Amino acid sequence: MNTTFSFNRLGLLIKRYFAENKQRELSFWGIVIVVFMLMHDITAIGMFFYISGFIFAARMFKIFSYTPGGMHYLLIPATHLEKLVTAILLSTVYFFIMLLVSYSIGNTLGTTLGNLIFNMQNPVSLDLFQLESISKVWGTRVISQRSLISIFLNFALIQSIFLLGSVYFKKNAIGRTFLTIIFFTILIGLLEILILRVTFGSFSITGQNMNLYISGDNLFPGFEQAGKIVKYLMIPFFWVVAYFRLTEKQV
Amino acid sequence: MIDIKNVDFSYSRNAKLLSGLSLKLETGRIHGLLGKNGEGKSTLLKLISGLVFPIHGNIDVMGFNPQKRTPEMLQDIFFLPEELPQLPLSIKNYEEVYAPFYPNFSAEQFNSYLKEFEIDDKKAMLNKLSHGQKKKVFVSFGLATNTKLLLMDEPTNGLDIPSKGQFRRMVASAVDESRCLIISTHQVRDLDSLIDSIMIMDEHEIVFNEPNENITKKLLFKVVDHNETDESVIYSEESMRGLYQVRENTTGEESKLDIELLFNAVFTDKKRIMNLFN
Repeated sequence: MNTTFSFNRLGLLIKRYFAENKQRELSFWGIVIVVFMLMHDITAIGMFFYISGFIFAARMFKIFSYTPGGMHYLLIPATHLEKLVTAILLSTVYFFIMLLVSYSIGNTLGTTLGNLIFNMQNPVSLDLFQLESISKVWGTRVISQRSLISIFLNFALIQSIFLLGSVYFKKNAIGRTFLTIIFFTILIGLLEILILRVTFGSFSITGQNMNLYISGDNLFPGFEQAGKIVKYLMIPFFWVVAYFRLTEKQV
Repeated sequence: MIDIKNVDFSYSRNAKLLSGLSLKLETGRIHGLLGKNGEGKSTLLKLISGLVFPIHGNIDVMGFNPQKRTPEMLQDIFFLPEELPQLPLSIKNYEEVYAPFYPNFSAEQFNSYLKEFEIDDKKAMLNKLSHGQKKKVFVSFGLATNTKLLLMDEPTNGLDIPSKGQFRRMVASAVDESRCLIISTHQVRDLDSLIDSIMIMDEHEIVFNEPNENITKKLLFKVVDHNETDESVIYSEESMRGLYQVRENTTGEESKLDIELLFNAVFTDKKRIMNLFN
């Protein structure tokens, strides 16, 4: 018997999830398709991706909020690693793919129905898959490059934080994870100010707004790339913390 | 099968629930775990299954550390809690989803236990069943897993009178030399004929752990007409039938074990009973 990881047990855990959440999954993705039929603004769609994603991730270990459910889950004969990988696959890979599929179906259906009802000839445009987006900032055309991989990685980062929150907090995982993020953001901000004071001495704010921005590229070559790598390394970091939290879980 | 050494446990910093608890349990027996409310009976079952971790001490379950919750250990443990989970699955789906996790699961046994409990509709949703019906499904499933260790917390709570008899018959037929069953209960009358070893918890430790044959060898359970008191009487209790007594068995006379009387005797004169068995 494989004592660390078994694909057979992983398959059984995934099967268990779909068997227990069949109804909820069907109704949720039905609603999502309708939302994408009506929603065309790419920014709003992006927001919907991330918000629905973290709600889903934060509910992954909701079973622990109910003691008999938590007991039943912990006693399933599978390793903690298999249980966590199941949660990662469902909240990150499965959810992202389902969002893309629902977006494509919803958008296509919405445009086709719109054309039929209003007698128009609008083409189906899946803006989310456009790898280059053009927007105007203060009257200037800004072309931003993006790729599905970078969207996925940002999505995975948010999911990993909320997945950890889901294992960590027994109740109100979404709210508590949010509060924790805010707390750490303030803490990092204060630390940043402290470092700036230590590095550059005192500084004063004279206007109503101050936009203090130090480009990494200006300080060290490749600093921005390093920042990206560090950012994405946070994904496995949160998974590892979630794993240890799961092994320590008591009900 | 189970070896617990000097275990301390508490849910909060201030109040210790278990202190220096030690216990050894062997296979082939149905152990009854008795104690007043809040003594830590359910917690002991949770410690054995790895749902909570001891602060100090060691627990060995079938050669495994339960704290690690490895699949090899978990596939040989079935825990029936007092409060059952709300699962949005039919009985059939529950079997399809969870049975593959238990390599010794027998679908045939599961069906026969369900039949004995008169549950015919396997399409019935678990979360729509009454507490008693749901308990019957989980008891049937637990017995059919053929795990070496079965932990049951108040298994007869919620069962109707005929079902209690069915439960006793099923458990008695399912437990063999290779299995160990621990039943935590307050309903001693329900399980009187089933339990063959008794553990009693008091002041957060195991104060009594003896097989039935040892108990009746050393204690005599009697009903007398009037107040026959002598030094051998440990505990007596008035009833409609006469005076129930627990005495030291000095004559080697055989008697039928009365778990409720034994429990009360232990709480009346714990020291004397402990001395008698040690």
